[in-house]
Amino acid sequence: MAAEMGLARSSRHWSRALRRRLLLLRRGTASDGCGCQNEALTSSKEGGDLGVGANEEEAVEVEARVRALQRLVPGGEELGTERLFEETADYIEALQVQVSAMRTLACLLDELREKRG
Amino acid sequence: MEKERFLSVDCKSPDMNSGAVADQVPRPFLDLGWEQPVHHDAQFESAISSLVSSPSSNPSAGNGSVVVRALIGRFGSICDSGEISQTSCYSTPLDSPPKLTLPVLGHQQQGGGGLPMPGTMADGQFTPFAANPGFTERAARSSCFGAWSYGGLGDQSGLPVARNLSRVPSSHLLKSAGALQMGVPDNGKDASKSNPERMEMEMRSKLGGGMPPSSTSGRTMVGGSANNVSKRKAASKGRGKESPLSSSNLYSPTAAEDEHPDAKICKSAKTNGADKDSVVKQETEQNIGASQKKGKENNAKPPEPPKDYIHVRARRGQATDSHSLAERVRREKISKRMKFLQDLVPGCNKITGKAMMLDEIINYVQSLQRQVEFLSMKLATINPQVDFDLETLLQENMHQEHEPLPQQVYPLEGTSTAFSYAQQPQGSPLQSAITNGLGVSQQPLCPTDGLADATSQLGNFWESDLRYVVQLGFGQSQGAEFFSQSLHAD
Repeated sequence: MAAEMGLARSSRHWSRALRRRLLLLRRGTASDGCGCQNEALTSSKEGGDLGVGANEEEAVEVEARVRALQRLVPGGEELGTERLFEETADYIEALQVQVSAMRTLACLLDELREKRG
Repeated sequence: MEKERFLSVDCKSPDMNSGAVADQVPRPFLDLGWEQPVHHDAQFESAISSLVSSPSSNPSAGNGSVVVRALIGRFGSICDSGEISQTSCYSTPLDSPPKLTLPVLGHQQQGGGGLPMPGTMADGQFTPFAANPGFTERAARSSCFGAWSYGGLGDQSGLPVARNLSRVPSSHLLKSAGALQMGVPDNGKDASKSNPERMEMEMRSKLGGGMPPSSTSGRTMVGGSANNVSKRKAASKGRGKESPLSSSNLYSPTAAEDEHPDAKICKSAKTNGADKDSVVKQETEQNIGASQKKGKENNAKPPEPPKDYIHVRARRGQATDSHSLAERVRREKISKRMKFLQDLVPGCNKITGKAMMLDEIINYVQSLQRQVEFLSMKLATINPQVDFDLETLLQENMHQEHEPLPQQVYPLEGTSTAFSYAQQPQGSPLQSAITNGLGVSQQPLCPTDGLADATSQLGNFWESDLRYVVQLGFGQSQGAEFFSQSLHAD
């Protein structure tokens, strides 16, 4: 949760949505859990074994995955495909930076602890 | 401000000038980098660079500094709106030590930016950043790319600065950019001149009239004379362009940096120094990238006067009615973004097909989210956490959105840190804040860490204290205003 707070700082659409979600969480309202994400993925996988030829089927596949991505990216459900991809890119970058920052921090704190004995 | 976002991960921010226990050792280096949120980013950047260069035993220090600067730039680029430094701060890190940047980046392959493994952490603090070599490129591209939408949002405040920065690189860069894009150095002056214009027009169309970011102006000064065709192709893939390398002689040999085509585009767009809002002409992506002959066809096209709407050139044998044109534009935008995402996600270069690509992206996002979650758990166990007042932090950004003020605040704290906060020598305003805070109705604390009741009073004390100090860090006027509101809210 605290890490999400760090992510929720930027002025991007997904970040604002994340802030709204966090505020709702704080106020005790029920929110979507992590299960949604897995569900999104499995539903997208279902369309994965179609034949190659039909464009319509591919479009349906792609559409299912786009919806899954929308569920993953905070605030993505309101966005069109184009905007969704933009937000996804920004979100991915923010996550990457967050992860590396947290890793660094964890390592440092570990070393600190060891030094203290 | 952006810097503290990363330290808000269950940690006290050095902005608070806390004597927090956990921060003792890392503070020296953290302070240098993370201390001045509101100050000019150049200071920050120089602090970080000096910081990075100090652990010089690390052989990849050069890499680290570069990547850290890219990170800084990234922070700046995801700054809240209204900050002019949104674009300029990105340019400064890369401006100042161009020579340092270039040879380093020249070695980096795009797409290699996987997340650093924990095993690399042992090498030093910045190894994780250094191990992310492709990050600079992606950050550069993303800031340029993302700022396209910023421009569309009409971030006018950033424009004058961007414009000033863009004046510096001038005609020679324009020519070289054009030549690089074309990949045909001997095409004649027309080719080199009209192509950058065409690129620029295309850029402007994406901006929707905004100014392209100046973020890459500094970098492009030194130029991207990548001598490696494959590298440039890889870099340009994100932009969907073909850029065969033959005119690298236009750039100085020292410029081994792998310049992105979109960076060149950003720069070439700026070098025209257009202050006009409208887009002249938008060439379809494939026109530029796909074939040389199409490029030559378009060479002779003179620059058109700015108009109020976007022209789209139809390709040969394609339908020209407005619907299909618009549809095609949209599809190309989407595919461009897909390519950009492909660059972001490691290991996606071999995957073709939208559906598979999206699968990979989804997997990647999920794995990143899981990592963040795992790491936050890990950090939570490592040391007693001082969590920031969520509402306070979020209110900083939500204030403009007129969210109702929070009535319940639940900070977590360790007692030692609470004491350290309480002892801030802030003077009378703080003391009045403290007394007011105590007078505020007692609010229950979230018993996440099993805090004893004895600390609840301290918690409230600290909470209001913290709130005020946080606001001090984020801007006097805004803080005072918020604080007074929060006091009177109850």
